Amino acid sequence: MSHRFLAGSVAALALVSVAAGQAPPSTAKAGTKNWTAPKTPWGDPDIQGIWPGNMGVPMQRPKTLGDRTSLSDEEYAKRVTQAQKAAAADNEERAPKDAKVGIGPPSYWTERGKPTRQASLIVDPPDGRLPPLTPEAEKLRKEFRGGRGVPAEWAGQADTYEDLNLYYRCITRGVTGSIIPVVYNNGNQILQAPGYVVIRNEMIHEARVIPLDKSPHVGASIREYMGDSRGHWEGNTLVIETTNFTDKTSIGSNGVGYNGEGGKHSEALKTIERITRVDENTLHYEATVDDPKTWTKPWTMLIELKKDDNYQFLEYACHEGNYAMKDILAGARADEAGKGSR
Amino acid sequence: MRSVIGSAVIVTAAAVTVFSLAVPPAKGQAPQAYRAPRAADGHADLNGIWQAVNTANWDVQDHSAQAGPMWEMGAIGAEPPGQGVVEGNDIPYLPVALEKKKANFANRRTNDPEAKCYMPGIPRANYMPYPFQIIQSPQGILFVYSYASSNRFVNMGKPMEAGSDTWMGTNNGHWEGDTLVIDVTGLNGLAWFDRAGNFASDKLHVVERFTRLDPYHLNYEATIEDPSVFSKPWKISMPLYRHVEKNAQLLDFKCVEFAEELLYGQYKKK
Repeated sequence: MSHRFLAGSVAALALVSVAAGQAPPSTAKAGTKNWTAPKTPWGDPDIQGIWPGNMGVPMQRPKTLGDRTSLSDEEYAKRVTQAQKAAAADNEERAPKDAKVGIGPPSYWTERGKPTRQASLIVDPPDGRLPPLTPEAEKLRKEFRGGRGVPAEWAGQADTYEDLNLYYRCITRGVTGSIIPVVYNNGNQILQAPGYVVIRNEMIHEARVIPLDKSPHVGASIREYMGDSRGHWEGNTLVIETTNFTDKTSIGSNGVGYNGEGGKHSEALKTIERITRVDENTLHYEATVDDPKTWTKPWTMLIELKKDDNYQFLEYACHEGNYAMKDILAGARADEAGKGSR
Repeated sequence: MRSVIGSAVIVTAAAVTVFSLAVPPAKGQAPQAYRAPRAADGHADLNGIWQAVNTANWDVQDHSAQAGPMWEMGAIGAEPPGQGVVEGNDIPYLPVALEKKKANFANRRTNDPEAKCYMPGIPRANYMPYPFQIIQSPQGILFVYSYASSNRFVNMGKPMEAGSDTWMGTNNGHWEGDTLVIDVTGLNGLAWFDRAGNFASDKLHVVERFTRLDPYHLNYEATIEDPSVFSKPWKISMPLYRHVEKNAQLLDFKCVEFAEELLYGQYKKK
């Protein structure tokens, strides 16, 4: 992501906060004037704390917005209204008669977040949309699993647990997917010790330990869902390069613009995360996704996280309580045997 | 794991006792001359990648070599012999609870939560045969376990009351001298202590003590209390060994996909 972009989005965020009646966040420039980035006792920039995600910005930008990185007053008002409606619907005691009944969590779990003017999480390419897939990736997605494609949100077909995606299987949401805000359990905690930064995600319970020692990555034959991370500081920005991903995982979803299939990638994937505390209570999390075998060019997300040390992590014992998996499979078998009813 | 057991370990073990290599020094018997380096919080520095080197995950009590739950695996699946980590070796089960422990053992192949890739709970997480890392930050202490991506944050501030019961518990820590003491409550009682079926209930209360013995070892002790399962509290203790490989780091052991056939295979399309 270019600096031009960062400046643009920071300015946009300043507008939002004024509109919402809050103190405007420091821009990168103002930050250096009015606020000094704290340091740990051993001298690293201090980015520790709990930084929960805030759902409400779509992954991809609506095409109608073009290259605009922030919403107009009118568009923002519409987003606020939509969020209020969604929150009101969440609070209804009973689902309306025509509602699609799914297997998702009860609506009172949902955290709709506070809408911001950020037009899309994707800030590069400039149109805020995923770059085209490579022909190789298009072919792979079509031919995967004997022509059934990559595992997606459950769509009625459940021959085996492998027909469900990694979320349903409670395996992981991956590096970026663990941070992209969703409808619940958006906790992110950052802790530091000399030589290490740990990013702990409430979702599926991850704790990614990032060494800062510039040591080489693990051998190429070691493949991990969360990859192999190495970090270093560039000024006050923590830069994390992650490789050694398994191609079994996917980039993730924010439940709005990139749901379901979640972004199948190859083992060539490399992510570059850039984490900067831009003021006392604001963290800018940027992630560049570079996988030349899957996307025709790298793309970058910007996720703004607000500090909330009162946020309580809940233990996301997803696999331990995965009754859905058994019920989906057993239901499909009952259906085949003519015992099921829809 | 051979590389972990360096010469320093042998020296320590010899210094501790000539009678039983498996029993770590009791509290207060650690070499008095050793003063642990300080971490940024001013307390003894527990940062590092640690691992138990014993067979407690098979059985926390004394056990002979024996067949494992899977004969198909041959000697790979066999249970190695080991001296226990329970002080006095006896676990004071109430009679009904002892029957349940025996039933657990009989059904361990499918019922051990480890087989299902469930979170290991406390204390078992600390002596599974995989490494874990302690991150001692100014904001609290994080334990990150390789197995099942389990982790637990130890609150070093004002003690927090346990909310809903969890696998890894509500962890409140404080220092007693150079010993980190963690009071663990809010455990759901679904985890086992080992592959032998030793267990507790959701009344379980664990008090753990971590003490640096020297540059390469921690002493680990845990007092286990659960009046619905045991007639009195009991205690385990063991050394934990520092990983000293130059490239030591935690790797993901996300085991869900290795348990799916066991858990859901019967529901697949034939």
